[in-house]
Amino acid sequence: MFYLEVVMRLYTPLDTRQALDRLLDDPVIAGAVTARRTLAGRPADMVPFPDWLQPRLRKALVGRGLTGLYRHQADAMEALRAGRDVAVVTPTASGKSLCYHLPVLQSVMEDPAARALYLFPTKALSQDQLAEIRDLARRADLPLEAAVYDGDTPAPIRSSIRSAGQIVVTNPDMLHGAILPYHTKWFQLFEQLRYIVIDEAHTYRGVFGSHVANVLRRLARVCAHYGSTPRIVCCSATIGNPRQLAEALTGRSIQVLDRNGAPSGEKHIVVLRPPLLDERSGVRAGSSGLARRAALSFLRAGRQTIVFGRSRVAVELLLSGLREALRDGRGPFERVQGYRGGYLPSERRRIEAGLRSGEVLGVVSTNALELGIDIGRLDVAVLSGYPGTIAGTWQQIGRAGRRQEVSAAVLVAGAGPVDQYVASHPEHLFEGTPEEARIDPDNLHVLLAHLRAATFELPFASGERFGLAPADDLLAFLAEDGHVRQAQDRRWYWASENFPASEISLRVAAPENVVIIDTGGERPRVLGEVDLFSARTLVHENAIYLHGSRQFHVDRLDWEERKAYVRPIDVEHYTQAELAVTLKPLETFDEAPLAGGTRAHGEVMVASLATIYKKLRLETNENLGWGRIHLPEIELHTTAYWLSLEPKVASDWTRTELDVALVGAGRVMQTVASILLMSDPRDLGMVAQIRSPHAERPVIYLYEAVPGGVGMAVRLFQRHGELVEGARQLVASCPCEDGCPACTGPRGETGGNGRILAERLLRLLHGDGEMGSRAA
Amino acid sequence: MDASALALRARRLERLRSTPGSGVAAKTSTPDPAGPALGTRRSMSGRPQRRAEVLAKALGGRLIGGSNGRLVEVERSGSLALSRPPLARLPDPVQPERPLVLLDTETTGLGTAAGTLPFLCGLGSWEGERFSVRQLVLPDHADEPALLERLAEAIPVDAWLVTYNGRSFDWPLLVSRFRLHGFAAPAHGGHLDLLPLARQLWRHRLADARLSTVESGVAGVRRLGDLPGAAIPERYFRYLRTGQGWLLADVVRHNRQDVASLARLLRVLAQALGGDSASAVDGTMHPGDLCGLGRAYVRRGRLEEALDCFDAAVTGARSILAADPWTVPLHERLAMDRARVLARLDRRMEAVAAWAALAEEGGRLSGLAWIQVAKYREHDERDPVGALEAASRAAREATRRSALGLPLPWVERDLERRAPRLRRLIHSLSAGSPAA
Repeated sequence: MFYLEVVMRLYTPLDTRQALDRLLDDPVIAGAVTARRTLAGRPADMVPFPDWLQPRLRKALVGRGLTGLYRHQADAMEALRAGRDVAVVTPTASGKSLCYHLPVLQSVMEDPAARALYLFPTKALSQDQLAEIRDLARRADLPLEAAVYDGDTPAPIRSSIRSAGQIVVTNPDMLHGAILPYHTKWFQLFEQLRYIVIDEAHTYRGVFGSHVANVLRRLARVCAHYGSTPRIVCCSATIGNPRQLAEALTGRSIQVLDRNGAPSGEKHIVVLRPPLLDERSGVRAGSSGLARRAALSFLRAGRQTIVFGRSRVAVELLLSGLREALRDGRGPFERVQGYRGGYLPSERRRIEAGLRSGEVLGVVSTNALELGIDIGRLDVAVLSGYPGTIAGTWQQIGRAGRRQEVSAAVLVAGAGPVDQYVASHPEHLFEGTPEEARIDPDNLHVLLAHLRAATFELPFASGERFGLAPADDLLAFLAEDGHVRQAQDRRWYWASENFPASEISLRVAAPENVVIIDTGGERPRVLGEVDLFSARTLVHENAIYLHGSRQFHVDRLDWEERKAYVRPIDVEHYTQAELAVTLKPLETFDEAPLAGGTRAHGEVMVASLATIYKKLRLETNENLGWGRIHLPEIELHTTAYWLSLEPKVASDWTRTELDVALVGAGRVMQTVASILLMSDPRDLGMVAQIRSPHAERPVIYLYEAVPGGVGMAVRLFQRHGELVEGARQLVASCPCEDGCPACTGPRGETGGNGRILAERLLRLLHGDGEMGSRAA
Repeated sequence: MDASALALRARRLERLRSTPGSGVAAKTSTPDPAGPALGTRRSMSGRPQRRAEVLAKALGGRLIGGSNGRLVEVERSGSLALSRPPLARLPDPVQPERPLVLLDTETTGLGTAAGTLPFLCGLGSWEGERFSVRQLVLPDHADEPALLERLAEAIPVDAWLVTYNGRSFDWPLLVSRFRLHGFAAPAHGGHLDLLPLARQLWRHRLADARLSTVESGVAGVRRLGDLPGAAIPERYFRYLRTGQGWLLADVVRHNRQDVASLARLLRVLAQALGGDSASAVDGTMHPGDLCGLGRAYVRRGRLEEALDCFDAAVTGARSILAADPWTVPLHERLAMDRARVLARLDRRMEAVAAWAALAEEGGRLSGLAWIQVAKYREHDERDPVGALEAASRAAREATRRSALGLPLPWVERDLERRAPRLRRLIHSLSAGSPAA
């Protein structure tokens, strides 16, 4: 150990390969490796500039040192020129933004009246891309009116952006609340709109994506009203269903372009699993210890390294740990910086520039850096904790890797079940299809909310479509409470004083929300909203609420006023609320037999009561205490996927055994489902019933936690085989003895044989004959 | 979407109907106490013609029909003389030979977003002494193009619009409606918005600057049984749902009174601006109004007219007492404004006399006035000793005010630099460089 310390303190510059080898010689690291892969590098796939490219634009590109276009950039230009709508799907930092900047600039050069609308999910990205396109225009000697229009845009320049902005850069929330309802003031934009750019399209998933799809439906109506038919350019990180997502978002037929022409160097990826702290309980060490050790080794070798932590606290702990360790050895501790939401924009810009110039050697970040902020490319990425999705993991790994040089990435799994699954099934990461981004633009709650906003913007003709079908039935429904009215011309008009767009937050599903108010600052400010259903588990009194990877303590929840008062706090635990849930199926959409029972999906009514919350330590999930929650019961109409067992199959199980088996199997399926569907584990709820009052048999339900759902239940129904097989494997490969937080649940909660019983049930559902015969 | 998907949607809608609160509801929640609005499900009876006719009859108006819809036009007129030439003397002048079109709309909301509908346009105009108000009322959403077309016809290209807050609300809203229906808003010669003027002239003696407050405070009009503006959108929605034209009678009356008030305010302004006489202002006006008018002129750079206002107000202003000890009395403010205008007109002697008079008075602005006197003595009269004398009077004034708990921070800051500089100047002069 002493020898090791001496070695570690040496600040010998090493190349990435050598530094990695040295790291793997460290016995602590070597013992934790569960997978190691090398991805071969490849050269650039270049295409000459198309001959129709405006000469000044060509000059601008040459001025940047380019000799041609990458394959996917050229593909995008040609497809758009041919009038297609496209989705560009290539990895982080492959030059995606040129895929839209070039066609847009080309069209402005051909016709100065042409306009384009850029949508980015965050403000920081908007500023980045604005700087980028202004630079291109300057190099091309093109006078260009391009501006960001968001909540920070000063009022005096807003009207000039409306009337003269050739490129308007904004976000979906602003389009929804401040542009579309005022479209008559934006007629110059809508009359001449040639391009709609939707970058980071993979972030538009779940409820948010379902809302954004409807905002885009409204945008399409407004464009049609003013006679424009803009082309659409979506850009997305690699996901499992880029075409489906882009088509669901835009309602257009989309051509996917994924011939990535950007070069890449050789890349080494290592997956680490922290050691067990207690074999019997299965409790493991958190990810930060190994992450720090790995990062330190690379920093000491002078390699530029980015470390991703999963929360603000994790980032701060990692940062101070790294700086301290480097300071001890008189290392370059001041060249290691933090980067996360909550830092001032100027501070962020400074760090980004420092990373590009090399002055900043290491950066510890939350996933705020995951989205395409330009920081150049680094040598090494260390991921402290699985980012939650395959796609997100590749995005973070993609931060390391200069064009021709060797790079390395280290993924350190955390203690949670999903992390443990990935650590023990690294093939899931390397060979698995990246997750699908699911949205359901036709979720009735979301659809109706936007239909109101759309009617406010322009009346609906009788028989006019909104989405997949004519909207008359929905409009008639809205007319019942008088906000919409069918006039003499059979068209549907808005007939209310209300401003419907202000009643919708794109980030939550239901119209009734709890507003979260931060009282920590000089004056209270609104932090965000959560829907009523989730509010009880996320912002009950004394909850730790995470927002932008910052922690807030909920001081008070005023249920009647729908307000939660919070203040920023830094603690090392999080809270998890428990719901007592009863569930009633309302309608079965589809049903199929399976070994020992049936699987189905459909609409359900979930009645739930928040009962208690637990305080759990961040890294280890160790239980630190609990408290009661006093809030009313709530009903939720949503969609669910469920498995019901033939009563005879489990006839020889005791009631307790069956209960333990159902809960354990349900938990594992919940974990695997969130892995399969690229969703936050909280998006799916689980209910296990020994004797469902409805079916009079044992049932496991996985229900969507948002009203109406976003299409996850139907996907689980379709991917049932993978789900059950994944669950079975997860339990089978778990190194614990009889249940742990990473599989069927902690031993204390399931009794001594939770794991065995759950495993038996899952094998049965999987169709293994053994259990069937035993049951018979 | 196939038939089965649509059927599913129908069943889901049905389930939504039976759960108030759209899917997520606390079990204890009850349906909206107001319930669905009355008459919601009443059919439109498929006889649009009839609907407009009923409205016309209820409002005593006539039906105007066209290819793009129908509307009801209500016209009333009476005698209301207005002398136009003084309007040319307004801070924002109106060309008196132009046709005046007084415009006020009633709408379904306060914003200018696309879902706000102006359903009633009141237009006032003169023919000789006869003032008439023509109101265009929308019988149904579908008739809006007809209303806009009629409105465009009613505004001559050389018309001068007169509105109350119309610059930021009524007119932009109408422009947006024209845009929505695919044509440009009618051109017009000019636009006089009375709201900012009312604020400048009358706000000082009124509770607020709403039209109803101003008309009662300035033109002596009191409305009886007027429908409050906030109730108007709901009244129109009720009419839309029920087709009962009488519901709009109150709204039409309210709007007509608004338009008539515009006419009366114009008349008050014309009188204030001297009626037919050649003199610029009416000396019998409230001195505070004159002060506001003067300031409005100053803002437009029309200094001679401003001076006329201040001169005319001076005598009356002394009898106006300040509301509280913290407010500068009107006559002092006037004297200050007057002195400033004189200085801008380069009538330096008169300006300094005005400052000196204000200074000697020892009132709230005395300290500030002494500073001005000091400036004048130093730079115009080249009399540093006199200037220092004035500066020390200012200092004494500041000390005195401070003791009274009403300090003059601006004066104190100014003196920190001015007094030492003057002393240095005097010292260097008395040290006697003969060249100086």
